Amino acid sequence: MKKLELEVKTIEEAKQQAIKTFRINVDYIDFDIEEKKQFFGLKRSYKVSASVNVDVLDLGLNLLKTAFLNMDVDAKVEAHFDESNHQITYTVETNENPVLIGKNGKTLENIQFYLRNVLNIYTDKYVMVLVDIGGYKAHRQKQLEVLATKTAKEVIRTNIPAKLTPMNAFERRIIHTKLADWRDVVTASEGEKPNRYLVIKPKRR
Amino acid sequence: MAVNYEKLIKDLVTPLVIHPEDLEVKCLSEDDHMITMQVMVNTDDLGRVIGKNGRIANAIRTIAYASASRQHKKITINIDAF
Repeated sequence: MKKLELEVKTIEEAKQQAIKTFRINVDYIDFDIEEKKQFFGLKRSYKVSASVNVDVLDLGLNLLKTAFLNMDVDAKVEAHFDESNHQITYTVETNENPVLIGKNGKTLENIQFYLRNVLNIYTDKYVMVLVDIGGYKAHRQKQLEVLATKTAKEVIRTNIPAKLTPMNAFERRIIHTKLADWRDVVTASEGEKPNRYLVIKPKRR
Repeated sequence: MAVNYEKLIKDLVTPLVIHPEDLEVKCLSEDDHMITMQVMVNTDDLGRVIGKNGRIANAIRTIAYASASRQHKKITINIDAF
């Protein structure tokens, strides 16, 4: 949790400083104010400790729920915080899964990106935020592993490198790890970011 | 099935801004196929709402777009500061 210790003349000043440092709305900041007595009582000053008062896990849960409510989608959202690797996972199950996943998981990816950015405004340590809708990611992983094995076998048979369609980092990683312990092929990612793709090459011996 | 896009976008943008009192979401035009929304934020918040390379703005657009596509509509969102 972010914290800030201040010594100021007025409480208003403390608020302004806290907003500037945290760059979030006042409603989310807690103030602990302690008045400091001076000798003649002429000069007043306050000792203020400000802290960010947000439960990130709940904030994300509420954001998702209200967003789905606004979209008129019936959704069940479950949140899970993994302490060991500082990771939050939201599992979503709705009656409109295909719409929310989008073409090639694009909408899902954007929901995850949006949520990751919003939640990390309120944290002092970076949290990884993952969103999964209707088990899409597990399904996609299986699909990619099948694709990887198939293409790799083809590459070994023909001895010709194969390019795969552009994918995001997460999806490329699945294929890299899948083929990492294969003797006869090597994998490499080529190209620039939105169109970065994976190449499976035969290993020369 | 009516979707309140103004509320949807407002709820998405609100946690990103420092000054929610300056946040304004308006519907500029709406017909059977197209909706145009205007989001006005405080100058201090503009950078964060747009994000690096406009990625947060695009994420918000994609979410709104998915919601609109259920009703076979298209939505565009303009983001600007006062």
